Amino acid sequence: MSPELERFPRNILVCERSNFLNEKSRHGIHVSKHYFNYKVSIFIPECGILPAGLSSVIKSFNSYFLVQKLPVYKLIEEVFLDEVVKKGGFYALSHKTRIDEDNTIAFLPSGQMILSLDKDTYEQLGLEGKPSLYNHRNARRYVVTVDFTDKSMTVGGKRYQRVLLGLKERVPLTCDFLLSRYSTGTDEDGALQGLLSQYSFEVIRPAQYSQTLRIVPCPTLHPSDLQGKAGSCDPHQFLEWLGSVNMGIRCDNSASDFLSTYVCPEPQDSMSQALLYTITGFLIPEDIQSLLQELQRYFDEPKFSPWLSLTVHGFVDSPVSWGTMEHGFLSSGENFYNFVCFKNQDYWLHMATGALDGCPP
Amino acid sequence: MSVFMDLNISYTTDRKRLQAMIETAAHLGYSTVAINYTVEFQQKKQEIPRPKSVTELFEKLPIVQGKSSPIKVVNRLTVVTADAAHFRPTAEYKSFDLVAVYPKTEKLFHTACMTFDVDIICIATTEKQPFHFKRSPVNGAIERGVFFEICYTPAIRDSTMRKYTIANALCLMEICKGKNVILSSAAEKVLELRGPYDIANLGLVFGLSEGDAKAAVSTNCRSVLLHGETRTTAFGIIHTVKKVQPTTKQTDEAEAPASKKTKTENI
Repeated sequence: MSPELERFPRNILVCERSNFLNEKSRHGIHVSKHYFNYKVSIFIPECGILPAGLSSVIKSFNSYFLVQKLPVYKLIEEVFLDEVVKKGGFYALSHKTRIDEDNTIAFLPSGQMILSLDKDTYEQLGLEGKPSLYNHRNARRYVVTVDFTDKSMTVGGKRYQRVLLGLKERVPLTCDFLLSRYSTGTDEDGALQGLLSQYSFEVIRPAQYSQTLRIVPCPTLHPSDLQGKAGSCDPHQFLEWLGSVNMGIRCDNSASDFLSTYVCPEPQDSMSQALLYTITGFLIPEDIQSLLQELQRYFDEPKFSPWLSLTVHGFVDSPVSWGTMEHGFLSSGENFYNFVCFKNQDYWLHMATGALDGCPP
Repeated sequence: MSVFMDLNISYTTDRKRLQAMIETAAHLGYSTVAINYTVEFQQKKQEIPRPKSVTELFEKLPIVQGKSSPIKVVNRLTVVTADAAHFRPTAEYKSFDLVAVYPKTEKLFHTACMTFDVDIICIATTEKQPFHFKRSPVNGAIERGVFFEICYTPAIRDSTMRKYTIANALCLMEICKGKNVILSSAAEKVLELRGPYDIANLGLVFGLSEGDAKAAVSTNCRSVLLHGETRTTAFGIIHTVKKVQPTTKQTDEAEAPASKKTKTENI
């Protein structure tokens, strides 16, 4: 068989081990840098119903807005820029655009705007940008990053006018947007509401889905054994098993089953029940941060569960994965991270990306 | 890094079937499709069909899945040639957005690669390639911007044809190194269409690398469409448009194919 056929598109998995109480632990940074999150899955073995604390945290998750046909220049006009974008905590991602086919636009909470454009749009728009890192043979995709917090981008300045003119007149980019704003309570959302009222929009609450599984074999994990060399299982095997549980794939590997040969990795324990709770929507890192803090408190009281896991998936069509690292889509665009929390506040963090991605931090 | 396209959907007089195929293509994620009219001059004198305008087929084109824009439909002509005289670019060719040729002999393949004014050269998939590919015509075609097309539906229909398709494709890849290749269905039925990512994976079996295989369904197809547009312009730079005013001598000159005028007049 030709050697090319035996190669899979590469993927990267970075594993870290630390303790939540450790001052130098970087779990907070990793969570806050992963800006665009689509799905959060909580898996707790030996748990039947969602604990009250978690339930209230999930209820307090931010709602997000889906705006139809919003011209991009509206998001960088003076008033909106000063009141919303520059103040931080504003997340925006273009909806129904594919990162490998169309133009994708994202606003990061740090006040940056990322435009991932195809060649025609980039040449017509005339803004300064760099060719994508994942161009094959010829440069077909370009990434324009505009930092509105930079001194040279003051409203009224030449550079700002050029960006505004380009997006307003040269190439009036318009698409559906998912918007979310992390409000600290006292901030007024006047400017945001003012903008939204001009277009058709919906306020959406993140969708939730709960499932209690019965008699689930779960791998036994030792907190100190991240790589699976002494007793626990390999991270790849663990994540594969976790994925199969999330998808509802049977792992008994029965002889008559041709669809799935997945098995629970050894060593394993059989749990009488397990809780699988999924939240989907345009989720912001601040909400996930508070969820993670609540999950740390889960083990404050004695529980039967030996460990619990939190998986966060990023949007496959987002132009960035962690921070401003460029993200692409070859035949899949996964970029997710997974926490495994133990009773002694130890945690494992797995960060995974696909073929057209840089290495997670 | 560009939208997915399927540049070969066989034309059929059954309007409902054609509509169903285009709807399925939009559902699968293709943003552009080309309806292929095949012409074979070996049979009794065949006339070049006039392409049906897209508005006749659909009042409203279906929306591509996952996006908010409708699918784009273009017209394409494939000329099956066994003799050099069969391919005569007449004015009728101009009414098609893309022109393809299917050479049956080695001499014709050479001429098609080096001189014919085409966008696509089809590679045999239903029979064993009667001739070997040579480096010089293939490189000549690549320099001119002509693309080689491999259709995958014969591979779906029959196992013998599958062998031929893969064998011919691998021969081509050895010579062209994966450049200037497009993959398309030659679908006659709705069930013969496959999704773009699946076809990109199929490209791996044909000997393309991952990036090349994905480009074969997206970027290269875009290049083919642009090449088709340049056939109606002069050197791809000057584009003539019919003036709406009453015809004067000047307008008549502007309407004549710009490529026939001398260079100085174009400036």
